Amino acid sequence: MVWRLEDGKSRGILKRITASPCLRVSASVLKCAPAVAAGALLCMGLALAAGVGPLDLIRTIWTGSWGSAEAAINTLAKVTPLLLAGLAVALAYRVGLLNIGCEGQLTIGALVSASVAATAAHLPAFLLLPLTLVAGAVSGCLWALPAVLLRQRRGVHEVISTLLLNYIAIYLCSYLVSGPLGDGTAMGRTPLIPAGARMPEIFRIGSLFLTPAPLIALGFCFAAYFWFSKTVWGFEAGAAGVNFDAAVNAGISGSKWQILIFAVSGSLAGLAGAFEVCAVHHRFYRAFSPGYGFDGLTAAFLANGSPEWLWLSTLFLTSLRSSDKLLQIGLDLSPNFILIVQAVLLLSVACQGGIRPAVEAFLSRMGAGGRIDAASAQPDRTDTR
Amino acid sequence: MPQVLNLIALTLVKASPLLLAAFGGLLSELSGVINFALEGMMLCGAFAAVLGTWATGSSWVGLLCAILSGAFIGAVHAGACLKLRANQIVSAIAVNLLAAGLTGFFLNQVFHSYGTSPGVKGLPNLGSILPQEFLSPILRRLAEGISVLVPAAFLMGLALTAFLKWTVPGLRLRACGENPDGARAAGLMVSKIQFFSICAGGALAGTAGAFLSIGVLSQFVENMTQGRGYLAVAAVILGRWRPVGVMLAVLFFGLAEALSEWLAVRWSDLPNQVFLILPYAACFSILVFYSGRRGPPSALGRIE
Repeated sequence: MVWRLEDGKSRGILKRITASPCLRVSASVLKCAPAVAAGALLCMGLALAAGVGPLDLIRTIWTGSWGSAEAAINTLAKVTPLLLAGLAVALAYRVGLLNIGCEGQLTIGALVSASVAATAAHLPAFLLLPLTLVAGAVSGCLWALPAVLLRQRRGVHEVISTLLLNYIAIYLCSYLVSGPLGDGTAMGRTPLIPAGARMPEIFRIGSLFLTPAPLIALGFCFAAYFWFSKTVWGFEAGAAGVNFDAAVNAGISGSKWQILIFAVSGSLAGLAGAFEVCAVHHRFYRAFSPGYGFDGLTAAFLANGSPEWLWLSTLFLTSLRSSDKLLQIGLDLSPNFILIVQAVLLLSVACQGGIRPAVEAFLSRMGAGGRIDAASAQPDRTDTR
Repeated sequence: MPQVLNLIALTLVKASPLLLAAFGGLLSELSGVINFALEGMMLCGAFAAVLGTWATGSSWVGLLCAILSGAFIGAVHAGACLKLRANQIVSAIAVNLLAAGLTGFFLNQVFHSYGTSPGVKGLPNLGSILPQEFLSPILRRLAEGISVLVPAAFLMGLALTAFLKWTVPGLRLRACGENPDGARAAGLMVSKIQFFSICAGGALAGTAGAFLSIGVLSQFVENMTQGRGYLAVAAVILGRWRPVGVMLAVLFFGLAEALSEWLAVRWSDLPNQVFLILPYAACFSILVFYSGRRGPPSALGRIE
């Protein structure tokens, strides 16, 4: 089991049971729960400091995101891009890469799909919609590939290259949409895509409607889960992520899997943009993404990088996001409060592995009657090698 | 000739915040901890500078607040990475989010406004400090556009270069990043040195933020760092983790930013986005075409 390489030393039978892939992941999500609870408590405290009662806060977030059919549709529409961006980050993380470039890949994917749909308007609907989506995915993939190639050929960390590519993508699209690809107005937007390129609606209230896009995104997540936990390829790719050198020594072509999975990651982010165009906005406009790519990072790490739990973290984040207006109107709380909640939760989940040893060290130091002995005062020294 | 002088001055002004932040990042990375949180540190510094200046009326107090808040954010990042063993990049992403949230939140709480803070007194510029009789009119006009933090930033860069190269504490700091086990065996408190380096780096990045808010402008604008913290990380990588290299990289980015502003005035018929893209595209293309021999510190990102 390569999974066990992750923590180096296996401690007895319990470890071996939790090391089986499907148990491992759910156990790791359960392990997140105390950290999430601690983070939530911290946020409540902050809300209290700002003069908002915790119950009011929860009630407002609930009303703002699920309180009415309109709110629920709005929230569900946000699920698609976040789920796909989160999946993009989670997949790349599984092979040991960090894709921070979802924002740029999503923007490029959205612009390309909107332009393709507008130029190929004469095609029948059963060709046009798939073509639009594929165009978005391919462009996202192409925008992601330089990062992983740079990493492998030049040793440039993918975090820096994807970040720079984000800025380039956003400014490039902003130029293209106000110039060559725009609809001729000064609004900085493309023409509306033809009806054939729009996702069919399954539910409609007034001007709000819902498409099957969130379900498709969910399907991708479970497909990724299945691929990673039940196939040899998924196992090989995951092994390259856990310990690259060990995987290569075991005859796994690590760099091939990294390139492939990163390409898939970019495609998913591009697809998120295409879905936004086909299912929600029906056009591309300047400043298209309100940070879905970056929220995807939070979603992926809140779910501990496991695709089958992404729906949970995504629902949580979208609920926060879609209630920010109500927070501002109802409680006079700055929408930035949502960012703080996200950051605190992300930080507490990131720290979950170290909280217990730190608390134990602290307790044993207290137990020693204030005497500081070297071993417990610096827990990070005791377990080296 | 005045045009060229203008460009040089603009380059120095644009390079200074990057220089401060990049040396902050360099301190942390040489001690073995990836510092991707520079963006958040800068943002907090920028806000704290305005807050401190607004509260006390003195921009020097504002600068001090910026330094302290940057160090505080550094302590959060260091605590998460060193004590609680968080993934260093995830922790940094969280810290950056936290900084964006906190600054916006307090902007609303303190000033009751969204987006921008009211104007405050900025730091003095060189024109008001240097004796007037030494300056020709052209030089005086130039000096009025240069904050006192510009020479301070470059002096700080030189001092840190010397510190890292020739002093014992500098050597110890680098030892923690190259070989923490060896450093530990030699009796160094590796975690403490790393913690201190990250906090010092945060203080520098906070100063860089203060430069943006009370050095160039005299107000805080939400998300005003606009990715400069990330550019600073790129400068550290581009400079191959060597102080002199980082300084050259920073000057290059400064030049790219200055050129984009300088050209935007001259070629105003070109679309605005071309100039906005220029610094990022220049950085990216350099990363593509240039690769130095030296890699990162051997133990970068590894906490045991």
